[in-house]
Amino acid sequence: MIQLFHVTKEYPGEPPALADVTLHVTKGEFVFLTGPSGAGKSTLLKLIFCAEAPTSGQLLLFGRNVARVSPGEIPWVRRHIGVVFQDFKLLPERTIGENVALPLEVRSLPRREIRRKVLGLLRSVGLEHRAEKFPPSLSGGEQQRVAVARALAADPALLLADEPTGNLDADRTLEVMELLAAANARGTTVVIATHDRSLLQRYTRRVVALERGRLVSDGDSIRQAGANP
Amino acid sequence: MMRRPVEAIRRAYTALVRSPYVAITGTGTIFVAVLSIGLVAAGLGTAERLLGAWAGEVRLSVYLARGADLPTVGAAVAALAPGRAVEEVPAAEGLRRLAQSLGDEASLLDGVGADALPDCVEVAVPGIALGEAKALSRRLRAVPGVAEVDYGTAWLERLERFLDRARAAGLGLLLVLGLATAVLVSNTLRLAVYARREEIEIMKLVGATDAFVGAPFLVEGVLQGALAGGLAAATLLGLQAALLPRLAAAFGPFAALAPGAMLPWPLLLGVVGGGAAIGLLASALAIFRFLRR
Repeated sequence: MIQLFHVTKEYPGEPPALADVTLHVTKGEFVFLTGPSGAGKSTLLKLIFCAEAPTSGQLLLFGRNVARVSPGEIPWVRRHIGVVFQDFKLLPERTIGENVALPLEVRSLPRREIRRKVLGLLRSVGLEHRAEKFPPSLSGGEQQRVAVARALAADPALLLADEPTGNLDADRTLEVMELLAAANARGTTVVIATHDRSLLQRYTRRVVALERGRLVSDGDSIRQAGANP
Repeated sequence: MMRRPVEAIRRAYTALVRSPYVAITGTGTIFVAVLSIGLVAAGLGTAERLLGAWAGEVRLSVYLARGADLPTVGAAVAALAPGRAVEEVPAAEGLRRLAQSLGDEASLLDGVGADALPDCVEVAVPGIALGEAKALSRRLRAVPGVAEVDYGTAWLERLERFLDRARAAGLGLLLVLGLATAVLVSNTLRLAVYARREEIEIMKLVGATDAFVGAPFLVEGVLQGALAGGLAAATLLGLQAALLPRLAAAFGPFAALAPGAMLPWPLLLGVVGGGAAIGLLASALAIFRFLRR
């Protein structure tokens, strides 16, 4: 699904954001990407999401070398990827339903089908009664559930989440994590960037740790938690 | 595939309704720009029509040699100038007209006999070009019995030069105005695009192509431009209705203009179509410059 071979990402005048990272994520995996701020987690997600290109090394996504993906093809690659952000990135002047419908509109699905799918998605995140509300009227946890629903709207093969619980309290964090875990159980590959150690302790999953742009460990969360108390 | 344009129009309409102030700013900018261009074009067109009407009074005077037969020469002139109004003016009539044109000073002609002036054939040549006047004059001069042909060379040449310069200046002015308008409107619409940068970013995040993102902006540009053009055309018509009677009262030549002559329908259509074209061009520049960043 995702293969990185000696990937380096540098920005002018700064130390490498990623340095010689080699990493494979297979279909259906649930991976935590962890490390302190500035470790390169978000940069790695940006590379996977084709928002940035590696300075050197190879990145294969769904078996395709992203260096050979033209700018015009990037939207088609992104249609296989759902993304969740710490700040939700919902459009405040659109209703909850309209926000969730965005990925489906982009795919030019018939409106009736969009409506049906949106209602189903909102039901799955427990917000079907809020479909006509606007994001600012929702709590942070509810907004993030909407963002997850939007990310899953088009049944992506891969779900990327950048600090998805960073703005949430413990209860809301659990709600969002359960949604992501449920998506993974349905076959979606999930990669979550987080520095929340409680998540690693709670979920026994693969954990890839980065520090100063380098991959420093790759194993399950129990070992990680034990190694870095 | 048919759904996509409809969908783009629906999204454009929704965006216009959701951001009325941005839409009003864009429409207002195009309105001012198109109105300015329309005013200049109408002014130039009216000036040209007034000058054309003035040139319509041009007459060629064919003076006969002594002893030449007026009806014979008149017939020859009419044959050489088909479609033109030809008038035979005997010497006595010529003298009477001269006296009439002198008004109170007609007494200056006291004692002047009818034979002081030659017989003449006058040819009305409204709107004739200088080169055409010269060629006709050469042909008329070759008619037996013709002594001289006067076509008011000096003022006709000045008029021709003036019209040429006015046309060139008008085209240059319209070109400069058009370019300035495109830049101004493009910058205004860029603000509209910038105001929706978050929406664009999220659209791209969920896999929207540039065409999907850009289409509603293009539709918005056309709608705003057509609306602005329509308002500009209505304003121009209002100005014409208000100004033409006053201008006709103050300046004689304006009275000769037909109602609506200042704003012929091709100009009004051009204002509306031009507004839509400017809106489309400016929004295309704005959105694709933004997407290329």
